[in-house]
Amino acid sequence: MSGFSLLEFIQQIINGLTLGSIYALIAIGYTMVYGIIGMINFAHGEIYMIGAYVGLLVITALGLFGVGNISAILLVTLAISILVTGSYGWTVERLAYRPLRGSPRLVPLISAIGVSIFLQNYVQLGQGARDVSMQPVLTGGWRFGPADGFQVYLSYMQVLIAVVTVAFMTGLTLFIARSRMGRACRACSEDRAMANLLGIDTDRVIALTFVLGATLAAVAGVLVSMYYGLVNPFIGFIAGLKAFTAAVLGGIGSIPGAMLGGVVLGLAESFASAYLQTEYKDVVAFALLILVLLVRPTGLLGRPDVEKV
Amino acid sequence: MNKISRNVLSVAVGAVILGLGGLAHADTIKIAVAGPITGPVAQYGDMQMSGAKMAVEQINAKGGVNGKKLEAVLIDDVCEPKQAVAIANQIVNQKIKYVVGHLCSGSTQPASKLYEEEGILMITPAATNPAITQQGYKMVFRTIGTDDQQGPTAGKYIAGTIKPKKLAIIHDKQQYGEGIAKEVDKTVKAAGITPVLFEGVNKGQTDFSALITKMKKEGVDFVYYGGYHPELGLLLRQSREQGFDAKYMGPEGVGNKDISAIAGPASEGLLVTLPADFSTDPANAALVKAFQDKKQDPTGPFVMPAYAAVQIIADAIKGAKTEDAVKLADYIHKNSFQTPIGKVAFKDNGDLKEFQFVIFTWHADATKTPVK
Repeated sequence: MSGFSLLEFIQQIINGLTLGSIYALIAIGYTMVYGIIGMINFAHGEIYMIGAYVGLLVITALGLFGVGNISAILLVTLAISILVTGSYGWTVERLAYRPLRGSPRLVPLISAIGVSIFLQNYVQLGQGARDVSMQPVLTGGWRFGPADGFQVYLSYMQVLIAVVTVAFMTGLTLFIARSRMGRACRACSEDRAMANLLGIDTDRVIALTFVLGATLAAVAGVLVSMYYGLVNPFIGFIAGLKAFTAAVLGGIGSIPGAMLGGVVLGLAESFASAYLQTEYKDVVAFALLILVLLVRPTGLLGRPDVEKV
Repeated sequence: MNKISRNVLSVAVGAVILGLGGLAHADTIKIAVAGPITGPVAQYGDMQMSGAKMAVEQINAKGGVNGKKLEAVLIDDVCEPKQAVAIANQIVNQKIKYVVGHLCSGSTQPASKLYEEEGILMITPAATNPAITQQGYKMVFRTIGTDDQQGPTAGKYIAGTIKPKKLAIIHDKQQYGEGIAKEVDKTVKAAGITPVLFEGVNKGQTDFSALITKMKKEGVDFVYYGGYHPELGLLLRQSREQGFDAKYMGPEGVGNKDISAIAGPASEGLLVTLPADFSTDPANAALVKAFQDKKQDPTGPFVMPAYAAVQIIADAIKGAKTEDAVKLADYIHKNSFQTPIGKVAFKDNGDLKEFQFVIFTWHADATKTPVK
């Protein structure tokens, strides 16, 4: 190891923020569902995987039709992916959660795992178990630093990931804070039985939560397929695990917490790779989770009264 | 991983049942061909399956073995060690006596223990980890070289020809990838080059940006990667994107056309150690044509070794005039066989007496040329 370099440090922050944005987008799906029904949606990783597949297929199809404009590609891909993935999110809730609303908490958990296994195999049968890859649609970027030394590289794609992530999170935050449905969501999160008594259609709110979570997972999926260009039916498992960690780290049930948790996790992995060994990146990430939970059992931004019935 | 392998299990069990469906004839000699039919490295399984199937067809076309037809039973192990054991049990239960496979070292090793115990003859056309033949087994052979031949071939080339200023060695922490990376490490160290980095990445990892930044900052100009193509493809692509233009080298596990599909132009100039390209051997011209007639690619590194494995089993049954797997293993140890990978004879541990790895330069259009 040669000494510390500020430029390298900046580059590692860029790397970590990019990775963290993706984690954060997926983490929100976990945290929102938990915030409202107090359960973990174990099929969420697979929802993200479907988002990535749809993204990759749409981008490839647009390429065949000769669409080269990057904003057109992004908008069309996001729209189609959100539509398809959102309907999967809605279906998961409809099939695996709603019929089991009154049952013990473990029952919907098992049905969600069932959906997760089903979706993995469903995509595997439909698309093949092999890696599907495509070439990047957006290349290039900015370089900073001495021409003969270490240059910091910020790619257009990384900027795009950050911009899209911030845009969707701002949108979500405004939606939750300002809109009628957002208020209903917050009411359900406070006390679902009471909200129901006061005339809120809680089933609709729960369905909306799943769709919103799936929407953000679709955004993450599209960004991942544009950035890495490689998907297979099993990417949802690891991504889901990491995003779930991010949600717990930030305080499960809290939306800003999920965003913060994702970024912290991305940075932790990046720095562990950079200054320790790449082998230790998961060790550091999970050690951080344990440390945070020891000091703050509700996560970084979790509310202390997270106890749910 | 547990969840994944369980899902895969159900699919694979289905494949086994389908395989069973084909066993209507009682007077055939069944050979299990076990390898990845699905999963991230299924491309290599294709090479193994097409080579083995071609051998079975051609031997049957010439009248089979001692009046009986051969029958290939294709079985999917997805290159998962746990899956491989389940598959091996299936093979035992189906009373199949010969196995061509498995493909990945990580799945071959646990399966080989079962075959040895149950007296099943196993010839792997692809698993190169040295440990597989160091277990003192009598039933286990391979028609491919080993990492302690391949690693030094790569290591000597790096130390002797490339002479990098700063070398990094990366691996995927799997039996195959890490094993070969350690052999390269040992060889270059013996030649006086100490790698500045020796690190493992995760199988299935997609983001390598932090590692690339580190290598870029260290001024690494040559990277050896021990592992398979999905991870290396992304590593290459992200390296070029970050402006890290070190040369890369990898073992035969990275050498298939998907590396070019994933990495695109970034795969140009990648160095790969592969078994010699047996499809260019004039003695194999007719066989190469047979593959081309079926629109199959005879140039993959495991095609001819898989063909050879089936042929050795058939020749041994003819030569020893028995179908008893234990006696056949003994016969194979004592005799030599003329196959598409040359005249082969085996050491006591089941390794080939001779096998040569050659260094190729990989191109962005998924072709390769031998390095002079």
